[in-house]
Amino acid sequence: MMSLLLCLLYSCASVKEYDKMYLNDPEVQLTDPICMRYEINYQLYREGASGANGAKTGGGCGCN
Amino acid sequence: MELKQVEAVDVINMKYFLVLLFPLGLVFGQNNYKRAVLDAVEVDMLMSVYSQEGDHAAVTGGIGTEKLSDISPSLLIQIPLSEDGVLTVDSGISKYSSASSSNVGPFDGSNGASPWIKSSGASQDDVLATTKLSYTHYSDNRNFIVSANGYVSKEYDYNSIGFGGGFSQLFNNKNTELGINANVFLDDWKLIYPVELRIIEGDVVGITSLFGDPITGGRYLSDFTSFSSTDRHSYSLSFSVSQTISKYVQAAIFFDVVQQEGLLSTPFQRVYFSDRADYFYGDASGINNYANPDNRNLFHLADDVERLPSSRTKLPWGMRIHAYLSETFSLRTFYRYFSDDWGIYSNTVQVELPVRLGTQFSITPTFRYYDQTAANYFKPYNQHLSSQSYYTSDYDLSSFTSHQFGIGLGYRDASTKLNFWKLGLKSIQIRIQQYDRSDGLKSFSTSTAFSFVIN
Repeated sequence: MMSLLLCLLYSCASVKEYDKMYLNDPEVQLTDPICMRYEINYQLYREGASGANGAKTGGGCGCN
Repeated sequence: MELKQVEAVDVINMKYFLVLLFPLGLVFGQNNYKRAVLDAVEVDMLMSVYSQEGDHAAVTGGIGTEKLSDISPSLLIQIPLSEDGVLTVDSGISKYSSASSSNVGPFDGSNGASPWIKSSGASQDDVLATTKLSYTHYSDNRNFIVSANGYVSKEYDYNSIGFGGGFSQLFNNKNTELGINANVFLDDWKLIYPVELRIIEGDVVGITSLFGDPITGGRYLSDFTSFSSTDRHSYSLSFSVSQTISKYVQAAIFFDVVQQEGLLSTPFQRVYFSDRADYFYGDASGINNYANPDNRNLFHLADDVERLPSSRTKLPWGMRIHAYLSETFSLRTFYRYFSDDWGIYSNTVQVELPVRLGTQFSITPTFRYYDQTAANYFKPYNQHLSSQSYYTSDYDLSSFTSHQFGIGLGYRDASTKLNFWKLGLKSIQIRIQQYDRSDGLKSFSTSTAFSFVIN
């Protein structure tokens, strides 16, 4: 993970704001579609792994 | 004359003064102008419908129907409190009906008791209500963002209170962002055990005609002991780094540390020991056919409930790469590696390929692969030994792979031409997903989100 992090920071591109039209496209932004939170919730309940995706990290028993 | 000279000098001085102020005005004027983070109140109306089927219900010790349906409406409102601050109110309910939960008390008297049929007991359905309030504040140059949140949820046997906060720092012309978030959840169980374990001097409340061990003819007894604590606390620290790679590609790395303490077992999930006599209730002739879904009138009485360690440390990290490929195609990828001190190791890969259809519509095929190793404490139905300290037959903690296929449909209109009363329609999202787990669990979900701006 550290090597990935270093690669990421090493890339350190500096794209001007006016050149970010493609990056600001809703499909390209680094956030999930809002209704995807339900899928993440079901996965949290049905699987042993969770986290590292910006979703909730606790609260609720997930027992049904 | 003198007076006119003085006035002329004053006018000249004023001109010089204004000329001197002009560049300062430009500088300060630029700094003082800032666009609001959110121009108007935005409202998201969300709804999800979920259904699942499976044959490994944890409530009945790893066999039995897992049939479940859930409907979850939510309302998310974002309110600009100032040019720099946004308050978000996120409320929802989740109303579920669960065959396995119904079998916490399977002896309803109307039908035969079996792990394969749903009983009509009170535990067959419930409503989970959640509300989250969060406030996000941006610095004047929008490079520093600080947030705080509070969370509360309630269902019949489980309450949760949470709070947290975080900050993000953008630099490198907003091409690099570092974020840290911390959250605490203080949860509390209302202890509900399988009905046969709610014992009074070895007898069973609500069951008057136990026939006991079909081999020995003994009377059902359990050395079950209640949990001493009802608290479950979760503490998490999340780190993120996002980086612009080029005009077309951006990426992010996430790393979480999650520590859970307290009652991490679910009190109504049965466990059966292979080194203990078996006690059944119902039609004794079906004992050899117990694990078959044809069994309609025989129920295995619990030896104990799930027992898991009172501490768990989770260490997931993940990475996202999103790319604009062409006017028509984009690509969204996600990978996560997860490990914990219960013995679960997991990989998750998700790929989505949004396809733009004109300026307003999109269709997105999605695929997700997931695998995990089993927790150290998992064994299937009736395979645990009573000498173990920890045990569960919950297949969510077993070794499996899963595949999820689906499609997303999108509509966007930044100009919000379609209006309903004062609500201007900004976007519609629909996601339809099929989930298949290698142990046979299948689920189907449909989620929708209507996003509006209040004009």
